[in-house]
Amino acid sequence: MGCSSSVSSSQPVHRTNNIQSSYDTRGTIVVYGMIQSPATQRILATLIEKGLKFQLKVINLKAGENLSRSYLEKQPFGTIPALDDVDGFTIYESRAISRYLEMKYKDKGTELIPKGNIKVEGLFEQAASIELSYFDSYANGIVTERIFKKMRGGEPDMNKVAELRRDLAKNLDVYDQILSTQSYLAGNMFTLADLFHLPLGSLLLKCGEGELFESRSHVKQWWNKISTRQAWKTVQAMA
Amino acid sequence: MPIKVYGTPTSTCTQRVLTTLIEKGLPYELIKVNLAAGEQKTQEYLDEKQPFGVVPVLIDEDGFKIYESRAICRYLELKYKGKGTELMPTNDVKALGLFEQAASIEMSYYDPYVSGIVFERLFKGMKGLGDPDEAKIALYREQLNAKLDVYEKILSKQPYLAGQDFTLADLFHLSYGNRLVKLNEGHFFESRPHVKDWWNRITSRPSWQQVLALA
Repeated sequence: MGCSSSVSSSQPVHRTNNIQSSYDTRGTIVVYGMIQSPATQRILATLIEKGLKFQLKVINLKAGENLSRSYLEKQPFGTIPALDDVDGFTIYESRAISRYLEMKYKDKGTELIPKGNIKVEGLFEQAASIELSYFDSYANGIVTERIFKKMRGGEPDMNKVAELRRDLAKNLDVYDQILSTQSYLAGNMFTLADLFHLPLGSLLLKCGEGELFESRSHVKQWWNKISTRQAWKTVQAMA
Repeated sequence: MPIKVYGTPTSTCTQRVLTTLIEKGLPYELIKVNLAAGEQKTQEYLDEKQPFGVVPVLIDEDGFKIYESRAICRYLELKYKGKGTELMPTNDVKALGLFEQAASIEMSYYDPYVSGIVFERLFKGMKGLGDPDEAKIALYREQLNAKLDVYEKILSKQPYLAGQDFTLADLFHLSYGNRLVKLNEGHFFESRPHVKDWWNRITSRPSWQQVLALA
């Protein structure tokens, strides 16, 4: 089992009790991950939007805890996060976890996937796919070069960054078009499709790439709206 | 008005949608977009069809327009739920969660490397963008091997990526996997017994065979 997090008691809503034992996890949602990990942050944002209590068990990547036999039994690809639901059901892949939480706890907190109208659901799926096709790999590439590589003592490949930035900029021009006629990516309701952008979008800002959002008026407006949501502010305060 | 698909029969992303339509037993009309002539980058296409300038796009019987191949497939499954093969287990939250996990596995651990190899070895040259970057290809191969070793573990316990049943999560692998095999890179599948069985099972589905025959 991974180590329990040393989250301080100033955040009581996210700890069901203080005993550090694996038997605590019955009846509690358990998140396996790291608070600094973008993918972990994705599901923390979802949990908080839904008003769900959870316990964070830190899987320390630097110490290779993601490659321990017990973690690999949960997540065979050895990446974070993974989640155990209250009944012990295990699921991994941050976007799958978020979707599962929305479906399982449909009536709690914010509605994050529009239900009841197939066209509206189709447009949600389109928006969720847009995030994966036109944002994620470029944002991740830039952030890997400019933040994660540096953390590991390497130097960013600024040619690669320039190429990725150029492609992301073209895609964000299209985002600006889309967002000129609707408030959010899927329509007029905030959904997981918007939420999924938060972790890497915030890291882009942190490494000085904020111009990508700032220079596009509708993207800027959208980003301000989604990044000032209370749930996201709470996640950022945890990191 | 029949369902209209804008794309081409050889486009990997269009093939995802066509396979789904056939699995669901839905008649459709394929309207070819002239990719070689750059039709998908014309202002008209960008304004009316797909603002990112790619294929496919689907226009449903009632004129509803949707793009992004995986989104189109999911939409078709939701809209035409009772028809043909069930492609997503929407009745049970756990089964649906495991489906979403499998769909994400395809995007995280398969698509980037397979499409990367296929781009370097095939599409790059076709688009006049230069020679294959062998260093990149080597990296993709290393990653894909590591990920498919995990597929082998998963598929040793269950016949399909989401569990006992064939779903969109398996279907999404077909078109790029086929390109890989055509580039003589089928060893990725062939060298792993459970992956090999799964690959044979999903590629021998009549829907996929019909799509291949269209190309």
